[in-house]
Amino acid sequence: MNELKQTCKDVLTEKKARLIIGYSEDKNKRVKPFIARTPEDAEKFVFNHHAVNNLAVYISRFKNNFEGKIGIVVKGCDLKAVTALIQESQVKRDDLYIIGVNCSGVVREIDKEFSKDNSQIKCKYCQTKTPAYFDAIAEESKEFELTVDDQQELMTKIEKMSAEEKLDFWNEQFEKCIKCYACRQVCPMCYCEQCIAEKSEPQWIDSSATARGSFAWNTIRAFHMAGRCIGCHECERACPMDIPLTLLTRKMGMVASSEFGYRHGMSIDEPTLIGSYSTSDKEDFIK
Amino acid sequence: MEELIISTENFKKIVQELLGKEFRVIGIPEGENKYQEITDGSKLSLHPEAAPTSSSFKEYFFPKSEPIFFYKQNHSSVDLFDPIEDKKGIVVIGAKPCDASALPIISKVFNWDYKDDLFNKRYDSSLIIGMSCNYKDDYCFCVSTHGSPENTKGSDVFLTSLENNYFSAAAITPKGESFINDYVKYFEMDEKKHKVIERKEEIPEHFNYEKVKTWLDNNFENKFWDTAGEMCLGCAQCAFVCPTCHCFDIVDEQCSSCEGRRAKNWDACQFSLFTKHASGHNPRDNQEKRYRQRISHKFKYYNDKFGEILCTGCGRCARGCPVSLDILQVVEDINALAEKS
Amino acid sequence: MNIYKPELVEIKDIIDETPDIRTFRLQFKDPERMKNFAFKAGQFAEYSVFGEGECTFCIASSPTRPEYLECSFKFAGKVTNAMNKLNVGDTMGLRGPYGNSFPIEQMKGKNVVFIAGGIGLAPVRCIIWNVLDLRDQFKDITIIYGARTVGDLVYKNELEDWKQMSGVKTVVTVDPGGETPDWKGEVGFVPAIVEKIAPASKDTVAIICGPPIMIKYTFPVLEKLGFEEENVITTLENRMKCGLGKCGRCNIGSVYVCKDGPVFSYKELKTLPQEY
Repeated sequence: MNELKQTCKDVLTEKKARLIIGYSEDKNKRVKPFIARTPEDAEKFVFNHHAVNNLAVYISRFKNNFEGKIGIVVKGCDLKAVTALIQESQVKRDDLYIIGVNCSGVVREIDKEFSKDNSQIKCKYCQTKTPAYFDAIAEESKEFELTVDDQQELMTKIEKMSAEEKLDFWNEQFEKCIKCYACRQVCPMCYCEQCIAEKSEPQWIDSSATARGSFAWNTIRAFHMAGRCIGCHECERACPMDIPLTLLTRKMGMVASSEFGYRHGMSIDEPTLIGSYSTSDKEDFIK
Repeated sequence: MEELIISTENFKKIVQELLGKEFRVIGIPEGENKYQEITDGSKLSLHPEAAPTSSSFKEYFFPKSEPIFFYKQNHSSVDLFDPIEDKKGIVVIGAKPCDASALPIISKVFNWDYKDDLFNKRYDSSLIIGMSCNYKDDYCFCVSTHGSPENTKGSDVFLTSLENNYFSAAAITPKGESFINDYVKYFEMDEKKHKVIERKEEIPEHFNYEKVKTWLDNNFENKFWDTAGEMCLGCAQCAFVCPTCHCFDIVDEQCSSCEGRRAKNWDACQFSLFTKHASGHNPRDNQEKRYRQRISHKFKYYNDKFGEILCTGCGRCARGCPVSLDILQVVEDINALAEKS
Repeated sequence: MNIYKPELVEIKDIIDETPDIRTFRLQFKDPERMKNFAFKAGQFAEYSVFGEGECTFCIASSPTRPEYLECSFKFAGKVTNAMNKLNVGDTMGLRGPYGNSFPIEQMKGKNVVFIAGGIGLAPVRCIIWNVLDLRDQFKDITIIYGARTVGDLVYKNELEDWKQMSGVKTVVTVDPGGETPDWKGEVGFVPAIVEKIAPASKDTVAIICGPPIMIKYTFPVLEKLGFEEENVITTLENRMKCGLGKCGRCNIGSVYVCKDGPVFSYKELKTLPQEY
C-alpha cells in the first residue's frame, strides 16, 4: 500500500500527471473512487480486495478538462477498459499515466471480507492478475487460486434452452429493470455523448420501465457491447435489481472470440472487431 | 384502547383474510429482503432486526411507469380514456419507520394545490402497518432527519417487537383503530409476558439538521460543491431506491399506429438531460451541479416549501451506490463546515 | 379529476412567422369551455401533440381577446417539430392555465417599457395587447424588440400596427449583420438599443423576455437607468413538464417556476440560485 501511495505522490509532485484517479477508504472502511490532485491527497489512496470499481469510466469525463496527463490506478481487468478506449480513439496513450496494481481478487459483497466464495465472477476466470502494461506498477503480486467459474454453469443452461424458454427467462429478468441506467453509467465503454436511449427523434427505445421499454433497452445495450465489452462485470454489480447482465455481455465476448478470434482490450494497436473488416471474417450467417 | 399484542403467526392469518377480501398485501416474504406483493399469508416475515430493503415500497403508491390516460387518434380527431383504476386497497405490513414516514412527506408535493389522484387514490385507501426497527449500520441516520427507529409517522398501526415473535400493537390513526377492531380476534391482551426487545445499539445523531440547513441557505457557490459530487456517475439508482424521491417525467408512447398512452415515469435530477432545454442550454450542465441540486432539494428546498426534510435517513442510496457516494458523509462534511463558520 | 389529462383544442389558424417559428390560433373543441376559459397575461399552458408529447409555452394572446388562444413556438425538439407538421383542423391537447401572471394591477397608472428578443416576444405579446386594449389605464408605452435578422422578427404585422399607434413608441432592431439593404429600423443588440433609447425609469415598470444572454446584459442597463429591481419583471421560460409543481423539473432553489413563476421580478430573481 505504501508503495502505491508513494508512487502516486511522486507522480503528482513531479507533475507527471495533473490528477490521479484511484481508490480511497472512507470512514466506514468502504473503498471507493477518489481523485487526488496534490501529493497530500495521494496520502488517501489505498488498494485492497475491496477496490472493486473500474476507474476507467472516469477517463471519458476528465479527458478534455485540462492540459496534462490523467493518472489512473488500474487492476489488470480495468486496464482492458483503458486499452479499449485507446483502441476506440477515445483517449490517447500519451494522455494517460497508468499506475498498474497487482491484484489478487476483489469482493462480490462489498461489506463482507474477501474470500474464495466472496469474490467477483470475473476473478474466478481472471487471466490478467498483473496489468499488461503500465507507466508504474505497485503492490506485490500474490498468488490466488482460481475457483469454480459458477457463471459458466448458468450460461450453459441458458444456451440449451429453446428460443421460447430464453425469451421467457429474459422477459422475467428485464421486467425488474427500473431504468436507472446504472449499468450504462458505470460502464467505461458507454461513453456516447448522446446515448441511443436519449434520442427522442425518433424515440427508438421507450424511456418507460415497462416490459417493452426495459426489454428494448437491455437488449440494445447488449448489442452495443458486442465485440466491445471487456468483462469488468461492473454493470451487474451496479444493477440495483440484480439482473444478471453479464450473462449477455459475457456471451457476446465469447462469440466474438469463437467466431472472430477477437478479444477487446488486449492490445492498443489492434483494430477493433466492429470497426474493421478482414477477408477471413466468416460469412456463413449469410444464407 | 387496551394494550394489545399479536404473534407473527396470527399476523399471517390476518394476511390470509386480507387476501381473501381482495386487498393487495405488501410485505417482505421470508428469506427475501425486498418489499413484494404477498400472495400467501404464510410467507409474510416480520424481522425488525433486518436491514432496510434495497429499494423502498414507494412503487406501490407511485409506480415506476404508469399510464395517465390512453388516446385513440382518428384522422384529425382524438379520444382520451382514463386508465382503469385498481380498486384494491393496499396494506403494507412491516414498514420500517424510515419507509412509512416517507409517504406523508411526498404526499405534500402531490397535493400542493393540484391533487394528484393517481397517487391519492392509492394512498388514501391504504393502511400502513409500521414496525419498530432494531437494525443499525453505518449508513442509517434516521435520528438526524428528525425520525427514529420507533417513529410512528406515516403508520396507521405500529408494531413494537417483543420476545418470542410477538409484537405490541398500537393504533396510531382512526384507520388503524378500525383495522385492529376488525381483526381483534387475532390479538391478545398484553399481560407483559413477553419483554420488549431492546435495541443493541442506539442510532447516534450524525449531524445537526438546523446547522446543515443554515449552511445550505448561504453556500450555493461554495467550492465544497466542486468535489462533493465529482465521483457521481449520474445514474438514478439513489433516486429510484429512495422512499422520498418523487421526480417524474411525462412521455407519450404509441401502442399501435393510432393508439397510445401518456405515461408518468420515474425521473431523477441526476440525469444529464433533466434540465436541458430544447435550445440546448442546460442550467445544470455538469455532475457537480446536479449533485448539489440533490442535496439542496432534499435538505433545504423541500423544507422551505413544504416544511419537511425530503430524506428519512434510511441509507439505501449509500448502500447501493455503484461508487459508494455516501449522502450521510456529504451531509456530515457540510455539518463540519457549518460548525467551523 | 385527472390533473394530467388535457382538454381538446382545434387548430383554427397557422401563421408562419419565420422559417423556424410558427403561431397557432387554437379554440377549445367545446365552445362552452372556450367561453369560460379565463386566464391572465403571463400564464402558460401545456400543449399536447398526442403521440409525441407535451410542450410548455406561454399563452401568447391577450385575455382581453377571449375568442381564441394563441401560442408561438420555435421548432427545437420532438414535440415542436411534430407541431410543424400539423395543419388547420388538427386536434391538440391543452392543460392550463398555469403559473402566475404579470402584475398588471401594479402597472396601472405607470409607464410601461416592453423589452423582448427573438421568440421572447411571445410571452410579452400577451401583456402588450392586454395593456394596449386598456390603453387609458397606463401612461407612456415603449416597445423595444430585436431579433438576429430581419427574417427572424416575429409578429411582423403587429410590429407595424404598434409602430402606427400614437402614444406607443416602438423600436425594432436587428443584430449587426442582420439588416437587409432596405431595413429602416435600428441595428444593434437589444441591450445597446435599450441604452440608446434610455426609457425613463421614474414610475415605470419594465417587462423583459428573451434569450438568457440578452437578459443578462439588459438588466445592468436598466439598473444604470435607475429602474428599481421590483419594477423590472421577466418571465422564465424554463424547462417545465407537469406545470403543476410536482415533477420537480423546474425546481430552482426553493421555487418551482411553474407555480411560483414563471413571472418574477428582477429582485426575486436575484434571490434564486443562478441555475436557469
